[in-house]
Amino acid sequence: MDVSPSTIRVIIVGAGKGGTALLELFTRSPDVEIVGMADINPEAPGLRLARNLGIHTTTDVLALIAEDRANLIVDVTGDAAMRTLILQHKPPHAEVLGGKAALLVWKLAQYEHDLRDQLIQSEKMASIGTLASGIAHEINNPLYTITGLSEHLQDESNQEVIQEYVEEIITAGKRIADIVQGLNAFARRSHEEETGDVNLNQTLDEAVKMARRATVLDQVQVITKFDDVPPVRGKADELLQVFVNLVTNAVQAMEGRGTLTLSTDSLNGYVQATVTDSGPGIPRNNLTRIFDPFFTTKEQGKGTGLGLHIARDIVTQYGGQLTADSTLGQGATFTVKLPAASQ
Amino acid sequence: MPWGLHTKDGPGNGRVMIVDDEDNVRKVLRLTLTKAGYDVVEAEHGGKGIEAIGSDDNMLMLDVIICDIRMPKINGLEAIAFFQQQYPSVPIIVATGYPDQKMATDLLNRGVFDYLVKPVDRDKLLATVSAAMEKRLALQHDH
Repeated sequence: MDVSPSTIRVIIVGAGKGGTALLELFTRSPDVEIVGMADINPEAPGLRLARNLGIHTTTDVLALIAEDRANLIVDVTGDAAMRTLILQHKPPHAEVLGGKAALLVWKLAQYEHDLRDQLIQSEKMASIGTLASGIAHEINNPLYTITGLSEHLQDESNQEVIQEYVEEIITAGKRIADIVQGLNAFARRSHEEETGDVNLNQTLDEAVKMARRATVLDQVQVITKFDDVPPVRGKADELLQVFVNLVTNAVQAMEGRGTLTLSTDSLNGYVQATVTDSGPGIPRNNLTRIFDPFFTTKEQGKGTGLGLHIARDIVTQYGGQLTADSTLGQGATFTVKLPAASQ
Repeated sequence: MPWGLHTKDGPGNGRVMIVDDEDNVRKVLRLTLTKAGYDVVEAEHGGKGIEAIGSDDNMLMLDVIICDIRMPKINGLEAIAFFQQQYPSVPIIVATGYPDQKMATDLLNRGVFDYLVKPVDRDKLLATVSAAMEKRLALQHDH
């Protein structure tokens, strides 16, 4: 029988919207261990997420309860018959949270879920602000080609020269369109996107492409060591946000000069992606704090202090880990480890 | 004629060096300035700019430098520091696509003649270059 007061071992009954929100919340709570999740519908969204996270799922509530591994059963089905059934079959020491109390927890979890979505979105907007000032440079150059050459077109009568200017103006316009398209793709609200299979090699490539637009990478040597890795489960946009954050942090740490090494490999059902810079490194006492919300070493106005916190949050949500390692004077490595999608 | 003498006595309205990594940006600047009667020298990054005016046996005469900031190899800030140290009487105009108020203030405090944000309006560019030429003449008389 469980005597540890600190760990709550929980079974979630009901895998609809509320159950899913609870699952996400509990996954991120260190003192909560999710023993399993049950729903009559084997395709309920919560059960799919739980399977991705490697959590035991079943359609047989009573069998799960009978395993006697949980000390708390949270019933969010709102079904009176289910509540009676659970109360009749539960082990004597297990508590049951149901009815109005479960509804309250359900609502709190839902609220937390919405807040978290907003936080992710606002951090993304903040990073877009940072990207945008870099992208201004990228856009202003072709824009100058367009306005400048158009002005010269006004007093040009040589057909060949006119043709040449017009072609250059079109090319410059297309370049701006490309940049804007890339930014739009990044700004798109992530929860409109479905969870799917994501190839981290592509995500890393795309993150470097975005960072290239936002910061000067000309003096950064980018080395990629990509393995032929299996896909991971997640929203492509959220995972891109994670790596854009890691890559821009790395470039900023190196002050635009040095070596950026990106690598992927797979190990024991996990895909691991690392972002390594050759910057000054992170002091040991900061290494534990960099994932804390609002912790930043950047100048005021340059960072929100939320980037790494949210990056870790996103990775954790998909059953993964984001860790940092650094030796002062020898750069830093950030490692994202995510479960490989079941084939 | 030793390096640093104003070339206005010669043909044209003076010589401007454009330091920018973007071919098309240099092209537009060159077109605008040559049509206004200036002689133009181009360099695709700070290093080339330094090289262009730095070689002892063939010192280039310049009156005004237009310099970008974000460039590969030697960036604009490093190149500007070099130009200012070596050729204090040549006014430098920064033309950047990356507006940064703090950097603009810093540069102006450090004696940069003007800070323009691309896309630069043609009249604004010509007015600034013309004012820089005046400054160049004034500095030359002081020396």
